[in-house]
Amino acid sequence: MQEELFNKIVDMDEEGSIKLAKEYLEGGGDPQKLLETCRNAMGVIGDKFEKGEYFLSELILGGEIFSSIMEFTLPHIKGESEKLGKIVLGTVKDDIHNIGKDIFKAFVEAAGFEVIDIGVDVPVEEFVKQVQEHKPDIIGMSCLITAGISSMKKTVEAIKAAGITDAKIIIGGGRVDEEVRQLTGADAWADDAAKGVRLCKELVGVKE
Amino acid sequence: MAKSAQELAKERLARIEAAINLQEPDRVPLSGIGGDIIPAYAGITHHEYCYDYDKTRQALKKFHRDFPSDWSFAAGFTGVGVPPLTYAFADHPDVSAVFAMYGTVHDLLGDVCTRYPGREIGENCSPQFVGGTFMKPEEYDLLSEDPVGFIADKLLPRICKNLETPRKAMATWVRLGMEYGKISAFMQGVSEDMEELGYPSMPITMGMAPLDLIGDGFRDVTNVMLDIRRYPEKVKKACEALVEPILKVGLALKPLGVKLAFIPLHLNEYLSPKLYKEFYWPYLKEIILGLLKEGIKSPVFFEGRHDAHLDTILELPAGWGIAQFDKTDVRLAKKVLKGHTCIMGGIPISLIISGTPEKIDAYVKELLEEMKPGGGYILTANVSVAPKDTPIENMHALIKAVEKYG
Repeated sequence: MQEELFNKIVDMDEEGSIKLAKEYLEGGGDPQKLLETCRNAMGVIGDKFEKGEYFLSELILGGEIFSSIMEFTLPHIKGESEKLGKIVLGTVKDDIHNIGKDIFKAFVEAAGFEVIDIGVDVPVEEFVKQVQEHKPDIIGMSCLITAGISSMKKTVEAIKAAGITDAKIIIGGGRVDEEVRQLTGADAWADDAAKGVRLCKELVGVKE
Repeated sequence: MAKSAQELAKERLARIEAAINLQEPDRVPLSGIGGDIIPAYAGITHHEYCYDYDKTRQALKKFHRDFPSDWSFAAGFTGVGVPPLTYAFADHPDVSAVFAMYGTVHDLLGDVCTRYPGREIGENCSPQFVGGTFMKPEEYDLLSEDPVGFIADKLLPRICKNLETPRKAMATWVRLGMEYGKISAFMQGVSEDMEELGYPSMPITMGMAPLDLIGDGFRDVTNVMLDIRRYPEKVKKACEALVEPILKVGLALKPLGVKLAFIPLHLNEYLSPKLYKEFYWPYLKEIILGLLKEGIKSPVFFEGRHDAHLDTILELPAGWGIAQFDKTDVRLAKKVLKGHTCIMGGIPISLIISGTPEKIDAYVKELLEEMKPGGGYILTANVSVAPKDTPIENMHALIKAVEKYG
């Protein structure tokens, strides 16, 4: 069953995969195993995206299938599963776009990270406050418009000025590249969700 | 002796036209970078840049005087708008193209799909488009049967608070009509300023890919990506039905001598080649060809990575328009499109934001060594929106480098 479900998710069979997962749970299947299978499928969807076999539409649909299955699976899982790390994630000040942040969030959660989503247009001081409160392993900043680049720089500076040096900072979004990473002083950059997840694993020292 | 504005405009126009016609101009044309830097450079807030016609006009003039380019194309876009609005008027070509994307229009409509500085967001933020879900999937049939009626009667009242009821709408349309007097005077003023500064007059209309209109205007991007899997035939029918109103609006300004239609794409990079060829390209192609038949060439902005779909451009006749690329390497694009399509872009905006004049000089030199031979190329940034704190010396460095190596 697990292999069949895995294939259905990777092949973007929304209806089929949700039906199969439901039947499995109703038949007394192990929710923890189901979660593992879904996570693995999401990992492969991300890999396929990085190889150019899949596109954003597959990432969006994959995220939708995953969250649909999780909706009825997670209530059956007792206790917290072990997390790879904690991420405070937000779209920086002056930018109100959420689509990139949300696609990344779906995949990085599926990969096993705990995500604290602090929303969009997050003021610099608020970003620092949330980081101080949650003490994440990784700080994720997203932006779509070019105005966000300077907000990222200011937010990174404020985080460093507040003495927070143990959390790694990753920036993401369509306008982000190595040039922007250097300007902002972040530790890593990604312009797609799959790369972002791979880098987050690297930043917390997870071996593939 | 310095050239007169008229001579300058003639020279610049010839340069751009040569590039569009796939010839080698006297120098590679530079299409100017605009964006948030325009109000910042003039010392006005972004709110003023969206609400004060006089200050906006002065800011545009100052910017174009101090940062000269061959084409003021990018600076023409000062705001964001309600995508379906103009298509509700597809059957009325005399008014279908009057809707400016400006803060005053946003206020009058009370739309919930954009955010403006000094209103929903800070007064120095750029106006932003957020979209929303305004149509249910069950309504695809209604949309396909009568797209213009559906937009006018169902969608606009849902998107715009001030069009919610027919009674509210009456007052709103009259107010918009009155506002148009100011907008039209503003546009006339800007075009006089540009003429005075030696910019060629190149009036432009707009087009859209039907799937983008559904995604950005009606259903929201995430939903439309799910719709193409859940209701593929309905989405295709709706795309087909939208071609006609999009063409009608695009052609409404033809009698005024408009020869260009800007088509900014959005969902192109979201789709695999298979989905692109099924849900996106056939309808976009119909629109590009429909405009071309009437003598209007389309500058198309291929947002994101268009690499996987480059070959489809070759299905268009040579010299069809301009392909502006974002994350697709223009050098790669040239390999595929040489002698067929005028290419625009090439400078990562991050370089202008984060680089130095020396770095920019070196980058332009190297880029032009590959892109200049054979012509058919217009240099500009991948995204022509420079943020407000973009270093001024970098803006100048780009202009100088194009003069030097172009």
